[in-house]
Amino acid sequence: MAVKKLSKEKVGDALSELSKFRLIAPAKSDEVVVFKQISDPAEAFLDYGNSTVPPKKFAFPQTETLFRFMRGSSELTEKNVEEEGTTVIFGLRPCDARAMAIVDKLFAWDYEDPYYLKRRELTTLVGMACVEPPSVNCFCTSLGGSPFGSEGLDVLLTDMGDYYLVQALTDKGKKLEETLSSQLGEAPADDEKKAEGMAKEAEGKIRRSINTEGIPEKLPTLWDSELWKKVSAACLGCGICTFLCPTCHCFDIQDETEETGEGRRCRMWDSCMFREYTLHASGHNPRPTRKERTRNRVNHKYSYYPNRFEVIACVGCGRCINLCPVNIDILDILNQVVDA
Amino acid sequence: MVDVNKLREKAKEVVSRDDVRMLIGYRPGTYGFRARPAFVQGPDEVDELIFTPACVNNLASYIVLEEKLPVPRGEEPDLRKVAVMVKGCDSRALVQQMEEKAYDRERILVLGIPCTGVVDMAKVEARFPNVLERGEIALEGDKFVLSTGGGKEEVAKEELLADKCLRCRYPTPLVYDELLDAEVARFADDDYSDIVELEKRAGAEKWAYWEEKFSRCIRCYSCRNVCPMCYCEDCVLERLNPQWMRRSVDVSENTAYHISRAYHLAGRCIQCGECQRVCPVDIPLMELNRKFYKDVEELYDYEPGTNAENPPLLSTFKVDDREDFIL
Repeated sequence: MAVKKLSKEKVGDALSELSKFRLIAPAKSDEVVVFKQISDPAEAFLDYGNSTVPPKKFAFPQTETLFRFMRGSSELTEKNVEEEGTTVIFGLRPCDARAMAIVDKLFAWDYEDPYYLKRRELTTLVGMACVEPPSVNCFCTSLGGSPFGSEGLDVLLTDMGDYYLVQALTDKGKKLEETLSSQLGEAPADDEKKAEGMAKEAEGKIRRSINTEGIPEKLPTLWDSELWKKVSAACLGCGICTFLCPTCHCFDIQDETEETGEGRRCRMWDSCMFREYTLHASGHNPRPTRKERTRNRVNHKYSYYPNRFEVIACVGCGRCINLCPVNIDILDILNQVVDA
Repeated sequence: MVDVNKLREKAKEVVSRDDVRMLIGYRPGTYGFRARPAFVQGPDEVDELIFTPACVNNLASYIVLEEKLPVPRGEEPDLRKVAVMVKGCDSRALVQQMEEKAYDRERILVLGIPCTGVVDMAKVEARFPNVLERGEIALEGDKFVLSTGGGKEEVAKEELLADKCLRCRYPTPLVYDELLDAEVARFADDDYSDIVELEKRAGAEKWAYWEEKFSRCIRCYSCRNVCPMCYCEDCVLERLNPQWMRRSVDVSENTAYHISRAYHLAGRCIQCGECQRVCPVDIPLMELNRKFYKDVEELYDYEPGTNAENPPLLSTFKVDDREDFIL
């Protein structure tokens, strides 16, 4: 089967076609690019670097109702993810798709998370290759990713100028191609080769890097190192680095009740950088200061996760570096780990 | 501009003192034009210190941010001073903290920096995108000079200046033990024209405006954590029983959060603008804080963080306080 293309004039039609599903695409909120559900193709903003907030919330919502209850009643109304329906995330970056593939391992591990996994099953990821790296702090190539990476994606789009090259990568991707059969055309025969060349060129434009070899093994030996105090001194303890991280997946579960007796149990993103994270009912906190919290963040990504799942829980998107208010830079920390 | 050699010399002298635990200042960032906070423990670490228009952070926040862990049995609490470098706006945070008796004046040693304005790093990075190698920003006359190994660029000061500096009433610190340079005379004033414009809008228009903004809040609490006036040990946000503020993220809870925060800062916000600077999703939080600031000034002729002898506005009562605006 020949490789397809989507001419830019037909992107609107394609998005209209896809809006029969729950369609998620990058869009502008004022000048901030966020992923959101769109109903009008004109809302999609595809000419973007990367979104400020990753699209992870469409697999792992920031707040998710697990079930509803009523005071005095033992009946529960459970969440049915199926109702959200088939979802297409259109135009996400390869790093963010790869992040979902990494987080899948956790949610499918010893306890299979029904909400997350069902939602992932219902979701098709249509990626947009990074012809130009979106940020000066991109370092995906250090972590096994690539600006044209396909891991986690069902379809990869590559901007060829007047049109997007459309490469279906999975069965879900092929199905999506069929859905769009009247919008897609045939791509020139040598386009795939051309895209390979573009991929190499894009990789060459990634300017930051880290050699991760040995870091997962070394980190546990630095538990009591002075470096944690040093690298965390400026930390404000806010949730930017974790909430904007496409692989961070910690959550808390809380009940929210109304005066009427109605209530819901929901889970919501949590951040190891928050002071109430792992705070015990006794008042004791095993991570009492920003030092232990920063150490946890780095260890979780670069040691605990690879030691358990054989992959580092960082995709090098650079968001935590770009947006940290005090310029805490994970590559700076990792370099200190290497040198320690 | 503060002479960097003089700054380092002074820092060396300060951190060598027996009664000083550390000095909080600035050092170059990890990439581009950024600068970052520096925590200097000894005289051998002062050589990284800088002060340039890239030094945007309000370091007064760190005085109240540091965790107070229980002192182990048999040990004495470390009561040595913390030295801190502050610009004019930042110094007002110290004044307000002391007004509120957050700590004793003797606990801190203040190195004041008369300030001619700092950049808005977002404006810098929009103008000079993707700069990886470390660059420097200096103010020369009415121009910022941005230099990297690759060359120099001059930009008119007002193009890169942080908005707050365009309205700055207090460029010279209001509290200090030592001033690191000659005083800077007031070069701007605040006429609240931006707030007056916002006030004119109809209710529905205001609601639509804020709804869009609050809908993208991710509740990372960076605005709270960076705020030098947000230092409650037991924050209302973290209370579970009763839960004053839900953790769930939606436009309703987000709005409640931001309104609560703005109210808690009424008569306290000193306009350092850090909340708005750090917001990853560009919520113009200073518009809320400035509205209250304006109200407080108009109603009570009070400016927070200008006189440590003042009692905090909202914990005082005078018989002749205006009450015509109370429903």
